[in-house]
Amino acid sequence: MKISYNWLIELTGLDWSVEELSNRLTNCGTAVEDSEATDRYMDKVVVGEVLDLKPIEGADKIRLATVNIGSETMDLICGAPNAAKGQKVAVAQLGANLVGDLKIKKVKIRGIESCGMICSERELGISDDHSGIIVLPQDAPVGQLLAEYLDFKDTQLTFELTPNRPDSMSAIGLARDAAALASVKVKKPEIKLTESPENASDYISVKIDDPDACPRYAARIIKNVKIEPSPWWVKKKLIVCGIRPINNIVDITNYVLLESGHPLHAFDYDRFGSKEVVVRRAKDKEKFSTLDGNEHTCNPDVLLITNGKKGVAAGGVMGGLNSEVENDTNNILLEAAYFDPSIIRKSRKHLGFVTESSTRFEKGADPNDGLIYALNRAAALIAELSGGKVLKGIVDCYPNKIEPKKIKLRFSRCHALIGKELSKKRIIQILSDLELAVEDKGDNLSVTVPTFRPDLEREIDLIEEVARMEGWGNIPDAITNIGSLFTPLFDDDKFAEESRIVLTSAGFDEMVCHGLVDSKLAEKVNPGSQFVKIVNPSSSDLNVMRNNLVMSALPVINHNMSHRNMDLMLFELGKVYFPPDKNGEWIEDNRIILVVTGNSHINWREKPRAFDFYDLTGAINSLSKHFHLSEFEYCPGKIDYFEDKLSYEIKFNGTVIGCIGQVKASLAKASDIKQPLFLAEFSIKLLIENSNRVGDFKPLPQFPAAPRDLAIVVDVSVPAGDLLAGVKKAAGDLAEKVEIFDLYTGKQIEKGKKSIAISISYRHPERSLSGEEVDERQGKVIRSLKEKYNAEIRDK
Amino acid sequence: MSVLDDLKNLESEALERISNSGSLDAFNEVRVQFLGKKGSITAVLKTLGKLPVDERKLIGASANAVRTNIEENIKSAQNKLSTCKTASDFDPTLPGTAQPIGTIHILNQVMNDICRTFYGMGFEIAKGPDVETDYYNFEALNFPPDHPARDMQDTLFVENDRVLRTHTTPVQARFLETHKPPIKIITPGKTFRNEAISTRAHVAFHQVDGFLVDEGVSIADLKGAIVAFCKAFFGEDVKLNFRPSFFPFTEPSAEVDVSCILCKGKGCQLCKYTGWLEILGCGMIDPNVLDNAGIDSEKYTGYAFGLGVERIAMLKYKINDIRLFFNNDIRFLRQFI
Ligand SMILES: [Zn+2]
Repeated sequence: MKISYNWLIELTGLDWSVEELSNRLTNCGTAVEDSEATDRYMDKVVVGEVLDLKPIEGADKIRLATVNIGSETMDLICGAPNAAKGQKVAVAQLGANLVGDLKIKKVKIRGIESCGMICSERELGISDDHSGIIVLPQDAPVGQLLAEYLDFKDTQLTFELTPNRPDSMSAIGLARDAAALASVKVKKPEIKLTESPENASDYISVKIDDPDACPRYAARIIKNVKIEPSPWWVKKKLIVCGIRPINNIVDITNYVLLESGHPLHAFDYDRFGSKEVVVRRAKDKEKFSTLDGNEHTCNPDVLLITNGKKGVAAGGVMGGLNSEVENDTNNILLEAAYFDPSIIRKSRKHLGFVTESSTRFEKGADPNDGLIYALNRAAALIAELSGGKVLKGIVDCYPNKIEPKKIKLRFSRCHALIGKELSKKRIIQILSDLELAVEDKGDNLSVTVPTFRPDLEREIDLIEEVARMEGWGNIPDAITNIGSLFTPLFDDDKFAEESRIVLTSAGFDEMVCHGLVDSKLAEKVNPGSQFVKIVNPSSSDLNVMRNNLVMSALPVINHNMSHRNMDLMLFELGKVYFPPDKNGEWIEDNRIILVVTGNSHINWREKPRAFDFYDLTGAINSLSKHFHLSEFEYCPGKIDYFEDKLSYEIKFNGTVIGCIGQVKASLAKASDIKQPLFLAEFSIKLLIENSNRVGDFKPLPQFPAAPRDLAIVVDVSVPAGDLLAGVKKAAGDLAEKVEIFDLYTGKQIEKGKKSIAISISYRHPERSLSGEEVDERQGKVIRSLKEKYNAEIRDK
Repeated sequence: MSVLDDLKNLESEALERISNSGSLDAFNEVRVQFLGKKGSITAVLKTLGKLPVDERKLIGASANAVRTNIEENIKSAQNKLSTCKTASDFDPTLPGTAQPIGTIHILNQVMNDICRTFYGMGFEIAKGPDVETDYYNFEALNFPPDHPARDMQDTLFVENDRVLRTHTTPVQARFLETHKPPIKIITPGKTFRNEAISTRAHVAFHQVDGFLVDEGVSIADLKGAIVAFCKAFFGEDVKLNFRPSFFPFTEPSAEVDVSCILCKGKGCQLCKYTGWLEILGCGMIDPNVLDNAGIDSEKYTGYAFGLGVERIAMLKYKINDIRLFFNNDIRFLRQFI
């Protein structure tokens, strides 16, 4: 919300600078977001008189103006259609800096030199009006600085108000906070209202059909108004507060809205259509046109102000086209009402727009003094500025009076919650300064909250008021040791943290995805599966939650490829999401994905090689080693998004926890990935449950190991893992280490066969092994390999 | 025993020569000179025949020991030389060879930094689902039924009456229901908003919320915790400003600014010339939130705070586009190795 600094100063009588006012209000919860001097575009802009205005040959849009600015007479190019000889205008001289970083320099157009500019309101930051130049009154003194002449030295303060404080959405409301900070009283403008003898009630009556939606409706009649532009002092305030002046009646309702915070509406009494206001819910499909010219089809969510027959305003939101104040309006029906916040919310939602009025009613206006003050203030101003006569009396329909709340505030509670002992006197002072009525009851206060503060409902709300007016900066910082003094790490956090270290050490970069994916891609990756669907996606390509990590990794790989990052080792630790299962449980599963594609890192000693399957199993192996997990098994299994020939399930302790393989070329291509892409994804729940970081100490071996190497030739189809397991089994517990150290297929081996070299290290924990013992074991190994796998032993 | 002394002298002479030699040729020379057929050690051995048997044995043994020692020294010196090939073509400026290490995502690094600071203060971690019920995300946290945050414009709704949580505070509501004070918890995690993606806004971001509930907890305790965190995280000389604010689940509430980490409060582009950076929101847990969870709000009070991980990462590393975090471009990721 934008409010004039001068206005707040007038209302409080304080001598605070813009900076001090901003800081102090911000630190009591009414935050000033921005402040801008209103005359910041008026430096070197002066009042000038147009002495002459001549056409320029060959140009029909521009004219040559001769202007007297007091210190000199200058020639300017002028493009405004409304410029005329004899006008007093605003002239920007060389060096002026106007809206939009427009700097006034010497220019030459059609051979004519121009050293200044006659300005429109937009160029000077007064309004958005750019239809023509500003024409000043004839008595404006030539040569005077425009800002001085207009008395336009002010600062526009932009407030970022919290939604619980409707009372602060006005000059008086903001001034109330400022005044309370300085312990002074707000100087509310006095209302000088003279009523004419005619009774308003002879002209209008009010009937409320739904007193819950509209607890109060008050009206005044003002006769014989003359619609004119407002005087400058009104316009100026509106402009500084960011509101465009229209005419005296509309301007006054806006002025009073800004000043008091209470929305008003002015009807053209003669167009109103009856002598009766009836407030009721709209009927289903009832048509109503708002004053912006739009026709709405209403439903009972909309509260209509009617003339007994048809709608004349959408109550609290916007007036109707049929009863709008026009230039020929003579008599005014001025409305000041209080609408329930929930009906306004429903109403504006149905109508599809918000207004200054709806925003204030929705947050909560004041049904009592504030309402009457606004009505009388506006009536008095209309009389003053339009020459109208205010008829006697307010036609006030207020069936269910809304009473101020009474709240008990215990001093002990206040101290305990703030953590600072404030004196009784200080607390009473703070609350009284905020215009709350306080009654001392010994160990507590009975506080009566005026209805302009609907946010104050409980004791805690009053404590908040005390804290914010005392200032959080004046509350001490306590060093307390409450609760636990140590932090046991969650197993899954420990697992995640250590996994990150293991995987980054192995060269993988970590990615973080948000988990929202495109259903089209998701369906392609995991066809026929169930997704958590977003009802109102912010964009159509983020409309489901991922149910595996592949579908969020593919766009990442695609992004990198499109930036020529072709060699990738990536991992993510993230959640996947499933819609409710049969038992209604929503499952979120923590997983790891590992991705490799492209080539290994280039260095001067080794040639780069293409990443493949084994880079994934190698990394998985590092993880399983780090967490002391039992071995993973890779079993052939069909996964939709993997190539058939390279598609495996990952088993841990006999349970399938994920899959590993090469992504189908067709799927990769759909994401613009044209090189082989390998990935593994697995759930980490079981791994966390079974991880065992610290093993018991084992004594270091006392006796020497006896190494034996063995080279065998077997069918290519025999899995290396089976061979290793076979060797381990045959060698028994004396085999300390069994490793494959060479693998060969090629010329020297029969086709369809492979040569595998295995090293076995034998050791007995309690004695040296004799050569015979080792040979005997080795013989057993060889026999079993021959029997089981038809292995042929190669001579070394 | 002049022969033994001779041997000792020869040994030390040879070892010194070895340590001063830098090429295979030089080592060969040493070997020939001391151990060769006409070498000095050999010459000593040749004189042994003239000596009595027991003396011969003694000197023979030590001559052999010297011989072996010189031999081994030459070998190990040669080994050193051969791994460097020759001294002249060795180039220590060639890059060392190892698989380059990867990078932990900057968001997780910052998240860890934040959490670690709170671990030090005795906060434990609690977690909850990303797909949340309306109750825990809003109702239990004292959001009125018509609060704007419950609008479609702000929140992503999921089929079957769920929402993607808009903050990690629902974990607080869940935790309070199942635990008795004292409670001292942080809740790191992912949150979602219905936002158009731009340089400043995204559909998802990370948050670390924290809360403490016990008897006699006050604003002063809250301030103490926040000050301690900010000093640990931003440095001992950081200044703080608490501005009263509003959140549905805390009352009173405040927003906290820290003195600008770049200009130290003088004013710069980062802090928009205010000297301050908004860093977190906090407040005293609203009694309604405690009551909703079945905790007696007369007996117990508590504080809560929440900070955005992306925002802190952006400020700390001067990252100007929030989309970079989720793009996962390795050129971005690897800047934070
Ligand atoms: Zn700064």
